[in-house]
Amino acid sequence: MFSKQTERTRLQPATEGRRLGRLLALLAVLATFTASPVTAADDPPEYSKEGADTCFQCHDDQTVLAVFRTRHAVPGNPDSPFGHGQLQCEACHGPGGAHAGRVRRGEERPPMIQFGPDAVTPVEGQNAQCMNCHLADTGFAWHGSSHDDNTVACADCHTAHIERDPVLAKATQSEVCFDCHQQQRTESFKPYAHPVRQGKMACTDCHNTHGETTDRLLARSDVNSTCYDCHAELRGPYLWEHAPVAEDCANCHNPHGSNQPGMLTMRAPMLCQSCHSQAGHPSLPQDAGGLPGNLPSQFLLGQSCMNCHEQVHGSNHPSGSRLMR
Amino acid sequence: MTTKTTRYISKTAMSFALLAPGLALAQADTSNWKCESCPFDSGARAAYEAGGTYVSDDAARFGNGTGYDEKGGYANLDGAGRLVSEEYLLDWTFADLGADSRMLQIDGGLQGKFGFHVGYRELPYRRFDTTSTIFTQAASDRLLLPSGWVPAGTTAGFTQLATSLAPQNIGTDRQIVDLGADWTPASQFRLFADFRRQTRDGIDITSGPSYTQTSFLPRFIDFETDQIDAGVQYATERASLTLAYYGSFFTNNNPSLTWETPYTAAPGATTLRMAREPDNDFQQVSLSGKYRFDAADTIIAASLATGTGEQDQEFLPYTINPDLGGNALPVPSLGAEVDTMNYALMLTSRPFDKARIKFGYRYDERDNTTPQYDWTRVIVDLFALGEAEQNTPYSFERSHLTLSGELVTWKDIRISGGYDRRTIKRDYQEVAEQTVDEGWGQMRWQPLAWFDFTLKGGASERDIDRYDETVGISLGQNPLMRKYYLAYRYRTYGELVASFTPVDSPLAFTTTVLMADDNYSQSRLGLTDSEELRVTADLSWAIAESTSVYFMIGHEAIDALQTGSEQFSTYDWVARHDDTFDHFGAGLRYAPVDGKLALRFDYNRGDGNTSIFVDSLSGGPSDLPDLESTLDSARIEASYAFSDRLEGTFDLRYERFQLADFAMVSEATLPTVLTMGADPYDYDVYAVGIGIRYRFGVEKLELAD
Repeated sequence: MFSKQTERTRLQPATEGRRLGRLLALLAVLATFTASPVTAADDPPEYSKEGADTCFQCHDDQTVLAVFRTRHAVPGNPDSPFGHGQLQCEACHGPGGAHAGRVRRGEERPPMIQFGPDAVTPVEGQNAQCMNCHLADTGFAWHGSSHDDNTVACADCHTAHIERDPVLAKATQSEVCFDCHQQQRTESFKPYAHPVRQGKMACTDCHNTHGETTDRLLARSDVNSTCYDCHAELRGPYLWEHAPVAEDCANCHNPHGSNQPGMLTMRAPMLCQSCHSQAGHPSLPQDAGGLPGNLPSQFLLGQSCMNCHEQVHGSNHPSGSRLMR
Repeated sequence: MTTKTTRYISKTAMSFALLAPGLALAQADTSNWKCESCPFDSGARAAYEAGGTYVSDDAARFGNGTGYDEKGGYANLDGAGRLVSEEYLLDWTFADLGADSRMLQIDGGLQGKFGFHVGYRELPYRRFDTTSTIFTQAASDRLLLPSGWVPAGTTAGFTQLATSLAPQNIGTDRQIVDLGADWTPASQFRLFADFRRQTRDGIDITSGPSYTQTSFLPRFIDFETDQIDAGVQYATERASLTLAYYGSFFTNNNPSLTWETPYTAAPGATTLRMAREPDNDFQQVSLSGKYRFDAADTIIAASLATGTGEQDQEFLPYTINPDLGGNALPVPSLGAEVDTMNYALMLTSRPFDKARIKFGYRYDERDNTTPQYDWTRVIVDLFALGEAEQNTPYSFERSHLTLSGELVTWKDIRISGGYDRRTIKRDYQEVAEQTVDEGWGQMRWQPLAWFDFTLKGGASERDIDRYDETVGISLGQNPLMRKYYLAYRYRTYGELVASFTPVDSPLAFTTTVLMADDNYSQSRLGLTDSEELRVTADLSWAIAESTSVYFMIGHEAIDALQTGSEQFSTYDWVARHDDTFDHFGAGLRYAPVDGKLALRFDYNRGDGNTSIFVDSLSGGPSDLPDLESTLDSARIEASYAFSDRLEGTFDLRYERFQLADFAMVSEATLPTVLTMGADPYDYDVYAVGIGIRYRFGVEKLELAD
């Protein structure tokens, strides 16, 4: 073994050699900074020697091993990361040769591809890993979707190392979505709302979160088609249609919740009076004079206009043109 | 160098590495990748929970969704399990079997080849348990007055009312059966099919008008909807193509409702009948595809769907008043048909690393081809309308064009902007053609790994070709009225989103602010102005590895102004609506790894308020009483592990809800409306549940030796 002094002496190059060395080093640095992608391709990152067995030498806690409770770790499924011949942990976390190799004391290990909000890997990089396998089922639509536009990571919603991903269960999904969609969470606590806060309806009952060519990532072609999935009785076509209903349910309803019964966007009769102004009762102002104790008004109290015109979604009665039959 | 700085540099370096075009990975030699230590899942594993829940009081609204609407005890049976081999998998989950919100789901199959699912769930909708009615059910579509009923002209004259009222809860139950399967015969092909049957039954409120009076009727709901989704998908790494079919078939087993009016009626008009939702179906075939080009990371997505909706329910007669008879119907049923066409094209591309552009076009058409006939209406079974009126089958064509781009600039600031154009063409309405042009811009700045800031703003103008007043005039409308969904509108909006999530810090904070202003400047009657403000803030704090707390607030305020005219002239009254809602939430999670006790606590409060101020020439200024609601909802869930397999569970829910709504009046408050007397909600209920959970099968994951 050489002493430090001896080592330094042995490695001391000649003056010309030092100059040549500096020149080569400079060229090497320049080459590094100007390296084309082709150069990167020429020197690809290496995979680990033994795959998952290498990883588990360090990463053996329950959180990591929980992946074996998921569909990502099914040896009989050739498409699964742990399917026969697949890349196991490195299918998602990328080549781990450098990460698992030797590093100098005090030096950080080269990072693997990480997922989640605290990951060092940028969102595009995380999602690219998921899309390696999920391009066909979700990835194509993802590109250009509003979630993609806002740089949402797959791992912002999905938890891969858990037996039952909360975002895939109706009871827990909205908690995940509401992390970002806080305004919708506020609305879900309004007095008249779909049973989302009770965990009996999921956001994906109406929205296709992986992207769609529809507006607002709706699950069906448009708003009405989506509503008719559960409210097919309102689809008609009726003999007597109510024009704004046939066009867009959201003209009168706020599906995320409302202070008004029926999730209406405004209190009746004023909502109806935003369109109807016929002489007589449709055009009368409804004020405190119509309250109990004064002259109770059938246009203000009870179901307001719907006390008589109950069939506001349309009527199929030959005498139902005024939506009363 | 700090840890944060190191992570940021790593992140930056990795982003370049991952986004570098042409970056190739080494070919992995997996011949030595035995995965000998991998604890692959096999065998059966399950956790079942049995117990009971006690609900302290009757409260319909508390049972909405949960099924816990009546005071008393409920059995709790929950569970989930899995049977798995190297290739096969069977998953099952069931919950709330003792309540009307029960669910069961079974998924399984040969993984990667064939899958199936079977599901059943119930969804209770509980509306009122304070309602009552005088009507009795003769059949599911026929209501009778009580024997000895004495008709009167107004509710004040109903001498038999008090003795005839019987409690009648209002609510329905929805049951959903779901069967589906998918098959992957080859790696690029996938076939899928799903069948769902939804049934809904129970009682809802409808109203049955007679002459100038009306009655709230307990209406028996008996709906059935069958839905089919099926298709085939072809997918490669570069492209996918899906051909799909969607069918929805609705049946109403009570397509009409007949009732006896409690009011004094002309001879022949004592028994009345209305039509209810007709049977209908809708079928659609769609073709959608995506293709990815290598050049500039470009993806094109396109979809095309064509569908037909039909309705041919046999008509009721104009009236069942034997003294009128009514004219013969032009047709025994309508033969209504709506043809739909939807197509879309979307292109996204990244012409260079720091830029992305997007183009989208969508077209939706509803072509109502229902034939038109002349109808001679009988008004509320009393008066035959002399003149004929035609049905109006509404159609529209809607398109949406989007153009947007994003550029990553200095300091990773993302600048994006876009232009949207929406058009609608309609028939039979006041506005035949309407165009909304919208421009927006957004800046997203992430100066530090833990600070994310987005600012967005835009403006849109909804313009119309013209407002054809003659359409409204023919229906008696004031020619100055501008319907809010048809009227000219100018909208401006701004949105801010900021999140602070310091790396290695236990705190995370996010806030959003949205402001919007809608101005209907060309409307002299109708909705003229609307303003919106929404604010939210979330704070979470990971106190320790096993403990975290969160706080969240939300505020929403929508102000609207409308005008009306009781003199059928220019506006002579205004109504101002101030609609606010505030939400506060807080919670705690305690779940130590390998600990015996796990705890979860959530509290939510919601305060809603609607103030309506009316000022008219005839009545002067007038405030309607505020419509107020207050919700307090808390839940504590805890589990204690007696052993690796046995746990005790505890679940306490508390909910208090109070509503002030001037419109909810007693049965005879209104002279001409016999209501069902629903009380404004006012309850506080707790539901306490205890149970035992037992786990079967291997739980702890250990590396194989």
